[in-house]
Amino acid sequence: MIEIQGLTKKFGTFTAVDHVDLTIRDGEFFGLLGPNGAGKTTTISMLSTVLLPTEGRILLDGNVLDRRAHAQKRRLSVITQEYSMRQDMTMEEVMEYQGRLYFMKRRQIREKTEELLDFTGLLEYRRRTVRHLSGGMKRKLMICRALMTEPDILLLDEPTAGMDALSRRQTWTLLRRLQNRGMTVLLTTHYMEEAQTLCERVALMDRGRINAVAPPRELIDQLGRFAIDEVTDEKTVSRFFHDREEAIHCLREAGPGAGMRETTLEDVFLERLGRRLEKK
Amino acid sequence: MGIITVLWEKWVEFRRDFYKITMAAMISPLMYLLIFGFGIQTTSHGEPYLMFLIPGIVAMSTMTGSFGAVAQNMSVQRLYEKALDQVMVSPTPLWQFITGQILGGALRGMYAGIVILLLTLPVQNGLIFNGWSFLIMFLNGMVFSTIALVLSFLSKSYADTPRYNAYIITPMSFLCNTFFSTDQMPGVFRRIVGALPLSQASGMIRAISHGEDPGTMGVIVLLLYLAVFSLIAMIYIYRKKTL
Repeated sequence: MIEIQGLTKKFGTFTAVDHVDLTIRDGEFFGLLGPNGAGKTTTISMLSTVLLPTEGRILLDGNVLDRRAHAQKRRLSVITQEYSMRQDMTMEEVMEYQGRLYFMKRRQIREKTEELLDFTGLLEYRRRTVRHLSGGMKRKLMICRALMTEPDILLLDEPTAGMDALSRRQTWTLLRRLQNRGMTVLLTTHYMEEAQTLCERVALMDRGRINAVAPPRELIDQLGRFAIDEVTDEKTVSRFFHDREEAIHCLREAGPGAGMRETTLEDVFLERLGRRLEKK
Repeated sequence: MGIITVLWEKWVEFRRDFYKITMAAMISPLMYLLIFGFGIQTTSHGEPYLMFLIPGIVAMSTMTGSFGAVAQNMSVQRLYEKALDQVMVSPTPLWQFITGQILGGALRGMYAGIVILLLTLPVQNGLIFNGWSFLIMFLNGMVFSTIALVLSFLSKSYADTPRYNAYIITPMSFLCNTFFSTDQMPGVFRRIVGALPLSQASGMIRAISHGEDPGTMGVIVLLLYLAVFSLIAMIYIYRKKTL
């Protein structure tokens, strides 16, 4: 279990993460959603100990997670938003470096490298240096690298950013499979569909604070399961209804450009945080 | 174990850039040897100036080799590639990472020094380079690797590494017992420059090369530098809130 208690991170006078409290259960797929600058990446960076909190602490099964917590860190793997890899290493070398940093045996490193690169379709490029890979290939390599060590907890900061639709779906399948094996996953994403599909619970984060924590379905139900979009010359206005009949009634009264659909997590996000989601 | 991982990483880098590293280790020292040793032919303390210059150039090469290997690599890893994050997240104890960097940098310095020793072999004319010389070369490399580590942690942009070269390495190269003895400097300046690590390393390697006793003070000074900068590097990597 991951317990985040009063976690705060300040950069000078700017507070990036402001007294965040969260508990992520073992084996849970948890999403951290928020607009740019909400503090998601900073939170992940503190969980990976790259940044140290200004206040508060992180506990992993009751043990404080910091830079000296080697046993706790052994259970973690991170996929960062940026391509945090040696650009002049080949894929094989990146994987070997990771294996060595986690004290894996040579044979185990070789086997896992082959298995993961094969699974993600990267095996034939294994001797290509990172700098010569496409963005999507780098992203896949980072996933391979994170899974190399068979972690209990996987921290994913925008893991599918820059991937094509097929690769993204493959990654979702892979992540679901991992979660079925009992891995705890903490995901930050801009893709609401991704969060809605994968996450058991999500936290909406804005300006460093947690706005809401609940399963996606519950957040959607709170807003209303049915949405009517009324398109005017200037903008699209969405109205939400708990009751289907009420929504249909509203649709009939609305203009010809109106349409009915199911409410999504993106609607919840936009309604709660009141900002436009950055289109990726 | 973590130390071996860092050394492996350094080896991968060395193997890939072998020719570039070797050329870089040779060019500046060779220029100095050609210009000051052969071009401007003179004597020093009753012997050809080249005999004075070679030990100094060897010490200087270990400094530039070690410093360059660590400062540039770590700055790029920390600021540009963010590859240091991979290490921070991993269970590899950070003291082992630091130690690996220091040893790896020192080995690169040793390599640079050995390249110069081999190149000057035909003109060494009885200069002695033995196990003690190599030990001091290695120690000097460790000191400058550690300094490079600390400076790379302090770097705020990629442009800082060449600045450190301009402010620290180049002045030391010229002032610290490489081209002329620090004894020729005036009072306080002599004491300050004489206490710098390259002055100590050059002095000891030169003494050994001439069959003289290098003394132990130089080793103590180098060990002190190593201890202080290692401590700063450790504090930085364990305590710094934003790396």
